[in-house]
Amino acid sequence: MSDATETDERIKEISRLRQALIRPELGGIVGTVAVFTLFALFAWDSGMFQSQGVLNWTIVSAQFMIIAVGACLLMIAGEFDLSVGSMIGFAGMMIAVFGVVLALPMWLAILITFAICLALGALNGWIVIRTGLPSFIVTLAFLFILRGFTIYIPQTIERKTIIGGIRDAAEGDWLAPIFGGKIGQPIFQWLGDAGVIAVFERGSRTGEPVVDGIPMLIVWAIILVIFGHVLLTRTRFGNWIFAAGGDPEAARNSGVPVNRVKVLMFMFTAFCATVFAVCQVMEFGSAGADRGLLKEFEAIIAVVIGGALLTGGYGSVLGAALGALIFGVVQQGLFFAGVESSLFRVFLGIILLAAVILNTYIRRLITGER
Amino acid sequence: MKKFLKGVAVAASMVAAPFAAQADGHADLSYVLVSHAPDSDTWWNTIKNGIALAGEQVGVNVEYRNPPTGDIADMARIIEQAAASGPDGIITTLADFDVLAGPIKNAVDQGIDVIIMNTGTPDQAREVGALMYVGQPEYDAGFAAGLRAKGEGVTKFLCVNHAIQQPTVGERCRGYADGLGIDLGDAMMDSGTDPSEIKNKVLAYLSANADVDGILTLGPVSADPTIAALQENGMAGDIHFGTFDLGEEIVKGIKDGTINWGIDQQPFLQAYMPVVILANWDRYGVLPGNNINSGPGFVTKDGLAKVEEFAGEYR
Amino acid sequence: MSDPIIRMTNIEKHFGSVIALAGVSVDVFAGECHCLLGDNGAGKSTFIKTMSGVHKPTAGEIYFEGKPMHFEDPRDAIAAGIATVHQHLAMIPLMSVSRNFFMGNEPIKKVAGIPFFDREKADATTMEEMRKMGINLRGPDQAVGTLSGGERQTVAIARAVHFGAKVLILDEPTSALGVRQTSNVLATVDKVRKQGIGVVFITHNVRHALAVGDRFTVLNRGKTLGTAMRGEITPEELQDMMAGGQELATLEGSLGGTV
Repeated sequence: MSDATETDERIKEISRLRQALIRPELGGIVGTVAVFTLFALFAWDSGMFQSQGVLNWTIVSAQFMIIAVGACLLMIAGEFDLSVGSMIGFAGMMIAVFGVVLALPMWLAILITFAICLALGALNGWIVIRTGLPSFIVTLAFLFILRGFTIYIPQTIERKTIIGGIRDAAEGDWLAPIFGGKIGQPIFQWLGDAGVIAVFERGSRTGEPVVDGIPMLIVWAIILVIFGHVLLTRTRFGNWIFAAGGDPEAARNSGVPVNRVKVLMFMFTAFCATVFAVCQVMEFGSAGADRGLLKEFEAIIAVVIGGALLTGGYGSVLGAALGALIFGVVQQGLFFAGVESSLFRVFLGIILLAAVILNTYIRRLITGER
Repeated sequence: MKKFLKGVAVAASMVAAPFAAQADGHADLSYVLVSHAPDSDTWWNTIKNGIALAGEQVGVNVEYRNPPTGDIADMARIIEQAAASGPDGIITTLADFDVLAGPIKNAVDQGIDVIIMNTGTPDQAREVGALMYVGQPEYDAGFAAGLRAKGEGVTKFLCVNHAIQQPTVGERCRGYADGLGIDLGDAMMDSGTDPSEIKNKVLAYLSANADVDGILTLGPVSADPTIAALQENGMAGDIHFGTFDLGEEIVKGIKDGTINWGIDQQPFLQAYMPVVILANWDRYGVLPGNNINSGPGFVTKDGLAKVEEFAGEYR
Repeated sequence: MSDPIIRMTNIEKHFGSVIALAGVSVDVFAGECHCLLGDNGAGKSTFIKTMSGVHKPTAGEIYFEGKPMHFEDPRDAIAAGIATVHQHLAMIPLMSVSRNFFMGNEPIKKVAGIPFFDREKADATTMEEMRKMGINLRGPDQAVGTLSGGERQTVAIARAVHFGAKVLILDEPTSALGVRQTSNVLATVDKVRKQGIGVVFITHNVRHALAVGDRFTVLNRGKTLGTAMRGEITPEELQDMMAGGQELATLEGSLGGTV
C-alpha cells in the first residue's frame, strides 16, 4: 500500500498542469491553433478571414462536423460505418423521389426519408450484432448497395442521375427551412449597411450583404456537436457507449445493453448522414447520384484527427468537431493560399499522420496504455 | 512538450514550402478555373496546360481547382471559396445548373466576371449572368457534322449512342440528322456501354439496313466497338464513319481510313480562350460579341500529326 | 453458523454429449471465504457460470437464502446479489476508474427532467470506496489502464461490494499477479469477508487458497472431491487431492464422459 501512496504524492505535483493539458481534445486544440496560425500567416489578405471567406470554410467544416459526430460516437462504441457517404447520396435521392417525382409535400418526403434511413442504420447495426461480422465489412456492403440504388432508382423512373426542382417543390414548406434556411438575416443586413461586411455591387441583390445569414447547416452542426458531447460525457448512455466500445464482454457482464447501444449508434450515424443530405438538397435544389462520395472517409479522418481510437472505447465529440474544423479549414484554406489543388491530399495525409502520432502519445499519458 | 514544439516547427516549415513558392510569380490579374472533374479524370490535364500557357502568354495568374471526388456539391463550395478570395474572374463549368447557379450568381453580383466553359449551354450561361460561354454546344456540333457528312454524300445514317441517359449527348444525334436534312427516326441506337454488345448491335443493324451509308458514334465508348464491327463485316473504309471525341483507337481508325473524321471539342481552347478574353476585358474593356464554340474541330488524316504530337498535352 | 446464503446441490451441466459438471454440491455462508480448487478443465468455470446465472443447470437445485432459485440470465443473479469478478473481463482499461465503477449502474441526476449522469456523486463515491479498500487514486478520472493488475481486481471487488453483493465470486483473481499485488488482493478478500459477504474464491493455487480460505472444495473432472474446513487439511493433502483426484478421474472420465 505504501507504494500507492508514494505514487499518489509524486504525481500530484504536476497534476494541475496535466489535468489542464492532457485531455483527449488536446491534439485537436493544438492542430486547430497550428492550422489557423499557418493560414493567418500565409493567407491573411486572400479574403479567407473576411465574412464571405469565414462563412465558406465554416460551412465546409460544419458539413464535416455533422457526419463526424455520428461517426465519432459510433467509433467510440467500437464500430465503423463506411456507408455514410452512400447514405448521403441515397437520402438526397429519396427526398427528390418522394418530394419531386411523387410530388408529396416536402415535409412528408423529409420525414419518410428520415424513417427509411434510420431503418437502414438499424439494419446495418442489426446485421453486425447478429452475425458478429466486422462492421467494416457489413457497412462496406451497404456502401455499394446504397450507391447502387441511388443510381438505379432515378435512372429507372426519370432516365437521369440528377433530379432537380427540389427547391421549387420545397417552396412554402414548414419543415424544409429547418434544413435549408438561414437565420440572423437582420443582423447581417445591419452589418452590411454599417459597412462591416461587404455588400453585393450589382445584380438583383445590390446592397444586400454578401453573407446574409447563418445557414441552418451550421446550426445543425453546432446542435449535433453539443448533443453528442453531452450524451457522451454527461449521461448514463454515454458511459455505455464507452463501455460497449472499450470491451463489450466486460460491459455485458456489468449489465450494459451493448447490442442496443451499438444499434442506436448506427441509427444515429444514419441520422447525421440524413441531416447532411437534407441540408444539401435543400440548399442546392437537386439530388445527384454522385453526392457524398468518399464522405465516410472524411468523417473517419475528422474523428481520428480529433483523437478517437479506431478500435473504440476512447474519444471525444469535441475533438471530432475540432478535427472537422481542421479538415474544413485546411481544405478551403489551401485554395485561399493558392496552393496547387492536387497537393490537398498530401497535406491531408501529413495532418492525419501528425494527428494520429500526437493523439497516440496523449492517449498513452491518459490511459497508461502500452 | 519541447519535443512537440519542435515537431510543430518542422511540420510548419514543410507546410510553408508550397505557400512560399506561390508568392513569387505575382501578376496584376488573377483568375480561377473551377471544374467538376475528379482528380482521377486525365482529360482535364489539357485544360490545366491550356490555362498555364494562356497565363504565361498573357501575364496573369490562373489557378485550377476541382472537387477531389467530383462531388458537385463540393464544387459549389469551391466556387463560393473562389468568390470569397476575390479574384478578377472565375471560369467554371456548369455541370449541374440547380446546384451551381446560386454560387455563380452570387459571384457575378459581387462584381466578379464569370465565363462558363465546357459543360452547360449558352442559355444557362446568360441566365447566371456570365460574360459568355466557351465550349461545344452539342446540337450545333452535331449539326455541323451533319452538314459536312451531307457534302460527303451520306443519305441514311446510324447514330450509336452509348449514353442514352444523358440527354445532352443525344442532342448530337439530333443535330446530325438536322444537318443532313433528314428525319432522325429510329436512326439513334441505344447501344449500352458493353463493347461486345455494341459491336453485335451495330453488325445486326447494318445487315438489316443495307442502305445505311453513314455512321456517327458519340465517343470512344461507342466508336471502338464500331470500328471492330466494320472490320469484321468488311465495310471498314467503305461506309462513311464520323465520331465525336478522340482516343487512341479513333486516331488509329482515322489513320487507316476506317474513320473519315473525328470531332474534337478542343478542350485546349475551352481553357485558353476564357483566360485571354478575361484578361483583355479587364485590361482594355474589349469582349467578343458572341459565345465561342471551341468545337467542332474536324480531325482528318491530314491533321493527325499535331494530334499525335500534342496528345494529352494540348489535344 | 446459520443457513448458507447459497446452496447448490448435485448440480449437473451437460453441453450436448459432454458432461461438464456431474453432480457438484457447494454451499456458501455469509462472511466466509469458500475456496474452489481445481486444475484447468476441472469444471470451475462452468460451475461459477451456473452460479452467476450464465448457464442453467441441467439438473440439481440452487437455494438462495433458503429458497429455490432459477436464474434466467446474469442480470437476475446480479439483482439477487451474486456478483462475479471475472479473470480478465472485469474492467475497461481505457475508461476512468469512476466510469468503470458505475458501469451499468450509473447514478442519475435529473436536470429539467432530463436524466444526466451524476458525475460528482460517482466520483465522490468511487474515491471513498477505493480509499476503504486501501487504494489512493490520483483522481476519479484516472484511467483503469494506469492501475496495476491487483488494483484493477480491487476496483472490481469494491464495485461488487458497493452494489450490494451478498455472494462475491472471484474467478482466479490472483492468477496473473505478482507477489505484492497478490497479497493486496488477498487482503481485500479478507476485508470483504469481514463485512459479512460470502466469497467464492476460485483458484488453482493452494497457497493463495490457504491464506484466506475458511473452507476448501476440490473439483475434478466435473465432480467434487469433498469439502474441508480450515485447519482440517494441510497444503500437501490439498495438493494431493487435486493431483491424485485427477488420476482417478481420468479413468472414470474417459469411460463415462462420452455417454
